[in-house]
Formats: sequence, structure tokens, C-alpha cells
Amino acid sequence: MELNIYAYKCKRCGEIHYPYKTICKKCGENDHNEFEIVPLPKKGKLLTFTILHNPPSDYEVPTISLGIVELEGGQRITGQLNIKNPKIGMNVEGKIEVVRKEAYNKHLGMVFYQA
Amino acid sequence: MREVYVAGIGITSFTRLEYPLVEIAAYPGLMALRDSGLKKIDQLYVANMGSGRVNAQTGLASAVVDHLSLTPAGAVTIENGPASGASAIKEGFMAIASGMHDVVMVIGAERMREVNQLEATDFVATLTHPLAEYIYGVTLPSLAGMFARLYMEKYGVTSRHLAMVAVKNHHNAMDNFYAHLHEEITLEGILDSPEASTNNPYVADPLRFYDMCPVSDGGACLILTTAEVMKKINKPMIRIAGIGQATDTHAVHERKDPTDLLAVREAARQSFEMAKVKPQDVDVAELHDAFTILEIAESEEVGFFKKGEGHIALEKGETKIGGKIPINPSGGLKAKGHPVGATGVGQAHEIVLQLRGEAKKRQMQNAKIGFTCNFGGFGNNVVCLTFIKEK
Repeated sequence: MELNIYAYKCKRCGEIHYPYKTICKKCGENDHNEFEIVPLPKKGKLLTFTILHNPPSDYEVPTISLGIVELEGGQRITGQLNIKNPKIGMNVEGKIEVVRKEAYNKHLGMVFYQA
Repeated sequence: MREVYVAGIGITSFTRLEYPLVEIAAYPGLMALRDSGLKKIDQLYVANMGSGRVNAQTGLASAVVDHLSLTPAGAVTIENGPASGASAIKEGFMAIASGMHDVVMVIGAERMREVNQLEATDFVATLTHPLAEYIYGVTLPSLAGMFARLYMEKYGVTSRHLAMVAVKNHHNAMDNFYAHLHEEITLEGILDSPEASTNNPYVADPLRFYDMCPVSDGGACLILTTAEVMKKINKPMIRIAGIGQATDTHAVHERKDPTDLLAVREAARQSFEMAKVKPQDVDVAELHDAFTILEIAESEEVGFFKKGEGHIALEKGETKIGGKIPINPSGGLKAKGHPVGATGVGQAHEIVLQLRGEAKKRQMQNAKIGFTCNFGGFGNNVVCLTFIKEK
């Protein structure tokens, strides 16, 4: 089964929300039963990024790279980068991987590679 | 609405404090009572962000009101992220303006150094979106790093401009007894010399160590009251003339233009409109420079300079003490320190000192209108205050 990050599409006006909301930000007349769950695209352009040299204590690595990506279709997502020399505007493609490990829990999220 | 005045002020050093959080909150309260000459209050608001998590203490206001022996006055704790301080001042203002109370004490207090730096950063990171940001390891410095990279690309701001903010604010803090960092720095030491990469390593590229505020403990207090009570206590008439508050999306990536700080713009607009003044009328301002880039961006969004020109004004020295609009004469969050829940009250404390003419060496001459911007989350909850000195 292919893993995805899902967004919330308003059934009335079509506005896509990521992360989810209880009321549609565009038509304002929704409740969360009125959203359709749609997978986010995985390809996009890197909008901005940072290399964090003091990641939170559960990461046992010296640095992590984080970025905001504008996906095909215009949705945006924050994710981790696995790219050697990231540059603003470069094409990237996401994979769903473990992005954070806690004592009894693993979180899956989007990790971007150079496309 | 009744007019609201500042009757008394108090502050602790913003640094590592080796005494309990309740006392960090109580001492500035004691100083403010002495300063105002008042003995009783009707209501206490305590702004704090992390006592439940960092200090294993909840219901802080109840503990503080008892510690000050001010019972049975009402007491409420206010948690609104790093904007807790100014949010508590807003509550205090409304309590008096509405006629509900006559004397209100507003304290901001935080003790973050009880845990190590990584835990403190992780605690502040709980502000971010739990599913869309936090799980990726996003912290406040990383949001600032991403913001700074885009801002630099778009407006021509360079690392040099960021370093100039740090140099200015460290210099201002040298004359502030209560500041966390009493350390004069130079562009050479943090940017140009061969040792700069050791002195000033990257933290959240492109932001470096000296672009970040320190993790501080500290407390500050304002006692607010009516014009009637002010007549009895013979203190300078510093009026809270305008308050604005605005919010923005929780996840930063949802904003149309990620270099816009819409909540800052809106909160400042409301605050100036209520006070019936213009940004250009302001004599002295304290902006929320948790990261150096924010001082530049906020100076534009609140209306002191045009968008994209804040760094040019900084270059010209317009934001120094004695310049056109001095920003962060206290040293700002960068050098005065950032005990998160206390910061908004600490900013107001500095503005009251400036308007009273009690800021000593860092005094802005004849300051009549002061302004603060207290920035919560990464710009998702912002409170701006305008203070006016009356004759």
C-alpha cells in the first residue's frame, strides 16, 4: 500500500486544508464531517529551508534539515529534507518515512529528496 | 471605558535565577507595590507559559497572591505562549477600563533554566503545530531560520544586517542592570574575523548563535489603576492608550506569503488606531527580537519603515538610542533576555521607564509615546501596546 499524507478537501467549495481544520477557511460554512480526505501530491518546489544544528533531544544526529515545499497544485507542506546542498526553487520529491522516534512511538512524515 | 494608567513597576534581573518561580514572580510585585505606594490590589494576573511543564507547578497565580499576602484578591494565571505578558496586560486593562476593578497587578514570570537548553527549546517547540510541524523536529529557531532565508533572498537583507541588530542590542544592554547579557560584541568578532565561525556558529542556518535570544529566567510587574487613584499617589501619568491583538495560521506554511507577519501588522494597526497616533509619532519602541531577523521584519510591519527597508534604516543608525526611532533600548530579547511568559511585561516595564525619564544612560530624551510588540508562536498571536505620557 502506498503511504500518503492526507489533506482535507471541503465538499462545498473545494478548498484543500493541510493541516485539517474544523471549519473551512474559505467558505466558512463547514464542519469536519463535510471534508473529503485527499492524498497530497509528493512532487514540488522547495520554497525555503534551514539546517538545524541543535535538533530536539530525541534526534541522535548533529543536524536535521527542514523545509517548506510548494507541492504540485499549490498546497504547501513542512517536511524534512534529505538533500546535500538544498537551494531555494529546486525540484523535490517526497517519501513517507519515520521523521521522529519517541520512546514508544514512531512518527511518519514527508521526507524530501532532490527530484 | 475608563482610562488606565501605570501606577507602579518592578523587575528582576533576566538571567539564571536560583530561587523558586513563585519568588521570581513575587519580587517584581513587591517592587511595584513600593514604587506605587499602594498596599492593596483588587485583582492579580500572572503571565507564565511553562510552569506546569518546566517547573512542575500549576495554579501559579494562586501561589503568588498568597506569597505576596494579597489574599483575598482575585488571581488568574494567563498562558498565551510568548505573548502571555502583553496578553495579561490586556486583561488587566480591560478589568479597569470596564469599571470592574480599580487596582490590578500584572506579573509576568518564567523559570526556564531549571531544565537544560535542549529541554527548554523543546518546551517552546510545543507551540508549533503538533502534526504538521512538531513531529518533523521543527523548533522556533528552525521556523526563524526558514523565515530569514526567504526574507534575505527577497529583500536583500544579509548576515551583516542581522549581526548589526545583535551588536546594537548587546550595546544597549550594557547600560541595563537587569539585562541577561552584559557582553559588548563587534561585527569583527562575530562575522569578519577567522574566529567568527567558532564564536558564532550556525544554529538554524542562515541564523547563527548571536542571532538568537538567550534562555532566561525572570519576572516583571506593572500595577494598573484609574485616573482617580493616580491623583492620590503622585506618580508620572503614563497611560495605556492603545491595545491591539491579532492571530495568524498555526502552521507557518499555510500563510500566503511566508515573509508576511500579518498578525503583527494588524495588532499594531489596532493599537495605533485606539491610541489615535501614527507609527511615525512613536519616540521609543520595544520589539520582539527573539531572533535578529524579527526586529527588522517587525519594524516594517508595525509601520516604522516601508516593507523591505527596515535593514536600510538599521544601517543608517535610525534604530539606535538617539536615532529617529530607537528600537530595543533595553537590549531587547536578544540581550536583555527572554523569559517567555515575562517578556511582554518586561517590554512594558522598559517603555514606562523611558516615558518617566528614569532609564538613566539609555534614556531617550523627551520620550512621550512608547510602543511594544509582543510576538507569540511564530507570529500566530501578537499583542501590541501603545503608551502615552500625559502632563
